[in-house]
Amino acid sequence: MTVKLWNFFPREALYECYQCARCTGSCPALEVAEALGPRETILKCLNLGHDEVVEDERLWVCCTCNVCEDRCPQKIPISDLLVALRNSAARRGNIPDKLQIAIELLAKTGRSMIVHQLDEMRAHHGLAPLMPVPIDEVREVLKKTKLDDVIEF
Amino acid sequence: MKQALDDMDKKANSPADLRVGVYVCHCGKNIGSTVDCEAVAQFASTLPHVTLAKDSLYTCSEPGQEQIKTDIREQKLNRVVVASCTPRLHEPTFRAACESAGLNPYLLEMANIREHCSWVHLHEREAATSKAKDLVAMAVARAVRLEPQFELSVPVKRSSLVIGGGVAGIQAALDMADAGYQVYLVEKSGSIGGRMAQIDKTFPTMDCSICILAPKMSEVGRHPNIQMLTLSEIKEVTGHIGNFKVKILKKARYVTDGCTACGDCIQACPQLAPDEFNAGLSIRRAIYIPFAQAVPSRYLVDMGLCLNNQGIVACDRCFQACTRKCIDFADQDKIVEIEVGTIVVATGVDVYDPTALTELGYGRFPNVITTLEFERLINAGGPSSGELIRPSDRKRPKNIAFLQCIGSRSKRSNPYCSNVCCMNTIKDALLIKEHWPETEVFVFYIDIRAFGKGFEDLFQRARREGVTFIRGIPGEIIEDISNGNLTLLGENTLLGTQYRYTMEMVILSVGIKPRSDAPIVQRLLNLSTDTDGFYMEAHPKLRPVDTTTGGVFLAGAAEGPKDIKDSVTQASAAASRANILMSKGEVKIPAVTARINTDKCVACGLCAKVCPYHAIEGSKELGYYRVVEAMCQGCGACVPECKFGALDQAHFSDAQIVSQIHEALANEPERKIIAFACNWCSYAGADFAGVSRIQYPDNVRIIRTMCSARVAPEWIELAFSMGAGAVLVSGCHPSDCHYNNANQNTARRVEKFWKRLDKLGLNKDRLRLAWVSAAEGAQFAKVIKEMEQGLRELTPDQVLETKQKLAKRVPRKGEPV
Ligand SMILES: Cc1cc2nc3c(=O)[nH]c(=O)nc-3n(C[C@H](O)[C@H](O)[C@H](O)COP(=O)(O)OP(=O)(O)OC[C@H]3O[C@@H](n4cnc5c(N)ncnc54)[C@H](O)[C@@H]3O)c2cc1C
Ligand code: SF4
Ligand code: SF4
Ligand code: SF4
Ligand code: SF4
Repeated sequence: MTVKLWNFFPREALYECYQCARCTGSCPALEVAEALGPRETILKCLNLGHDEVVEDERLWVCCTCNVCEDRCPQKIPISDLLVALRNSAARRGNIPDKLQIAIELLAKTGRSMIVHQLDEMRAHHGLAPLMPVPIDEVREVLKKTKLDDVIEF
Repeated sequence: MKQALDDMDKKANSPADLRVGVYVCHCGKNIGSTVDCEAVAQFASTLPHVTLAKDSLYTCSEPGQEQIKTDIREQKLNRVVVASCTPRLHEPTFRAACESAGLNPYLLEMANIREHCSWVHLHEREAATSKAKDLVAMAVARAVRLEPQFELSVPVKRSSLVIGGGVAGIQAALDMADAGYQVYLVEKSGSIGGRMAQIDKTFPTMDCSICILAPKMSEVGRHPNIQMLTLSEIKEVTGHIGNFKVKILKKARYVTDGCTACGDCIQACPQLAPDEFNAGLSIRRAIYIPFAQAVPSRYLVDMGLCLNNQGIVACDRCFQACTRKCIDFADQDKIVEIEVGTIVVATGVDVYDPTALTELGYGRFPNVITTLEFERLINAGGPSSGELIRPSDRKRPKNIAFLQCIGSRSKRSNPYCSNVCCMNTIKDALLIKEHWPETEVFVFYIDIRAFGKGFEDLFQRARREGVTFIRGIPGEIIEDISNGNLTLLGENTLLGTQYRYTMEMVILSVGIKPRSDAPIVQRLLNLSTDTDGFYMEAHPKLRPVDTTTGGVFLAGAAEGPKDIKDSVTQASAAASRANILMSKGEVKIPAVTARINTDKCVACGLCAKVCPYHAIEGSKELGYYRVVEAMCQGCGACVPECKFGALDQAHFSDAQIVSQIHEALANEPERKIIAFACNWCSYAGADFAGVSRIQYPDNVRIIRTMCSARVAPEWIELAFSMGAGAVLVSGCHPSDCHYNNANQNTARRVEKFWKRLDKLGLNKDRLRLAWVSAAEGAQFAKVIKEMEQGLRELTPDQVLETKQKLAKRVPRKGEPV
């Protein structure tokens, strides 16, 4: 069930990286959590191979904000790489538990997190209760994205 | 066309007299490991008129050349074909060998089986060998039709023009003037000196920059053989090697020679502007002197700023203040005309402006400055009289960060390494440590490039002095608006940890780049530029200061980023190359001029209209036109214009090229791409693809002309009627033509041919026009790949249809049916 990673990212672009670290230096995810910085991700893909990288849970901390790509002097499409790596990781079953739970929840409730007394809180702020989620439709969408290939729900 | 070939053949030696020697070079393994050279030589020996064919390891070596000479003498060879590297490299070598054995050098022909064959088909031995055979057959066919030519000698004026008065221009001017030649040094700004005058100290020796430059500047000022023209620019260049006529615009200075630079006028002037020399860090008046050591040591008025810029005298305060009365508001711009034999281009560089890198805050955060600004800041003659202060509060910063590679090595700015900024930062860091040792200095870098003599030493010294080097450029700088301090966010890649440093000042180590006005000089002198925009040398290794325009040489950073030492070295080299021409006093010009056959000429004058050098004179009344050989540059643009077959070009004759087309299409024509490539750009570009080992399909056959404007529509027609799969016409980019835009004729003629194909209902995509510069090897390869893709869709019926339809055309007036 693995995907061909290099169909989704131009591998030659990796060789253009000269490890200046402007990307990692700009990364907001790294400010708040232990993420795998883009510079390190690229170096590992080059020196250790992407098989190793897709095993690393820190890959999932990136919030795809695109700042790294914006500042990369070599115009490397870094976000494409990170997304491709995570797709590959997911196909191999390497999805962090927390994320897995969130997706299961989404498939079951139509929401990615449960907030207690949500409607009361909304009412307090003068907001109408949330509409019920058309759950079958959501599941249909999730299936179309083939998410059920990697996570059972 | 075939008729022309036969005519020509009849006129030339009878076949029995023709004795061709073919030499196939292995070039060590460069050709030999891809092309079966023995098989090629064996094949060559079967070609008509070939007396002998040999392969050798290095034909250009002494024994290789001796062999050719011996064979010329003993075997009575009267044509020589060398199949080896590009003629742009060794044609002069082999021509000299022929000449020394008594054979006219123009009876040599080369087949380019290295750059255009073995290097671009590295892994296809069979295809490469068969292509090499084709190339040799084409060369032999052409060789048989070559004629002896005799080069015209033109006198070289013993004077030179140097454009740009930086350290490179200064050195070149002095070297030529000292050798006894008259030099005109033209400088755009108000003083000579260039960037070096702005720098505080110079690496690697830490000399005071202006202290070592000023004596040279004054020497230029007093040298009897140097005429200095400041505030001046080149406006027009005509003529050619040995005799250039140059028009120079000398802008009004409004201050006469009498000025003693006393400076009494400055205080009187009410008009203020940022001082360019101090990188805008201080203020100057409308009347000013660029800097204290300026040469000429004279004030000037910036008329854009002066209150009198409307042409009326609204303010005369400086005039009143000047006791010697040297201010002259009536001064006017002048055109100065000079004639010189040689030209040295030393126009230098601009400095990268980092405003575009918004994450670094340059231009928004006052304490983020560039290295150039820093040079002025710590210079004794600078805005703070050499005190280390930061702009926001004029206090001395306790810690300072340098950021490397700003604007260099990046697809977002300039892709190349700027060569001087690593060492410049190390120098600056050491200067800070020397004068203010308690200051903390951090250098954020990617790689430290300390490659030159004494550089590594300096780098180590900086580390010993306590400069901290951190690998990893900050991704972002945040300013604390309460105190102007700057926080750098980034990653230390060697430790693999995130950092946050708070610095009181940040210095961006900006790169250098081609001047924004570089294209002006480029066009005036027909220079080429590399992909980065720097002026291009004639050969990167063997002719590093020559340009492809005869008599024009390069010096200093205009040719590529370099430091002072390299600029000076190159300037002396350029001067020496120019001195050779001037001391000889004459130069031979290639015998590739156009010739008119008066018997056929009907004096219509069409040729004269397209000649970019006005080298064809005559009139209907006189009843003839003729080519002035000394003025003809040999582009060949005129030849296809003649509808009566009266014009031809020496050494690139119709018969010679037609014979190449015939050979190239002898087998499997529908698979072949005939590519006409101009000598200066496209042929060189194809060479560059070879040098870069860029692989492309093997079915292209390149035919060289001097200019793409030589390509006759009749050749294209011939190729298609012989069944050629595709035809490429390639030349320099429109504004880069080496023959004064002669290639606009190329475009016009190809467009006309397209229209004709269209009218006949034929696929016009099979004829392609491509502009490929000498630096665009990849572009050349791309064009060929695309054309090859097109060939795959071509059907035999289409080839046949084209053949038939083109064959049916009406013969033109005067043309034998
Ligand atoms: C911040 C900085 C620090 C540096 N520090 C060092 C150092 O410590 N040591 C070192 O070895 N090198 C250093 N360099 C490099 C050094 O400046 C260059 O090597 C040197 O200036 C190149 O000299 P040049 O004469 O080729 O060009 P320039 O110095 O740029 O001079 C070119 C001159 O030509 C004039 N000009 C341009 N176009 C025209 C035109 N069309 N017509 C007429 N005149 C024209 C310009 O006005 C200028 O006067 C530094 C560079 C920078 C930017
Ligand atoms: S910013 Fe670009 S070049 Fe620099 S380390 Fe990151 S990916 Fe590599
Ligand atoms: S005339 Fe011009 S240069 Fe002189 S003082 Fe007035 S503004 Fe200044
Ligand atoms: S010299 Fe150093 S700082 Fe300048 S571009 Fe090259 S590597 Fe970067
Ligand atoms: S058009 Fe070219 S070849 Fe013809 S006369 Fe003029 S310079 Fe010479």
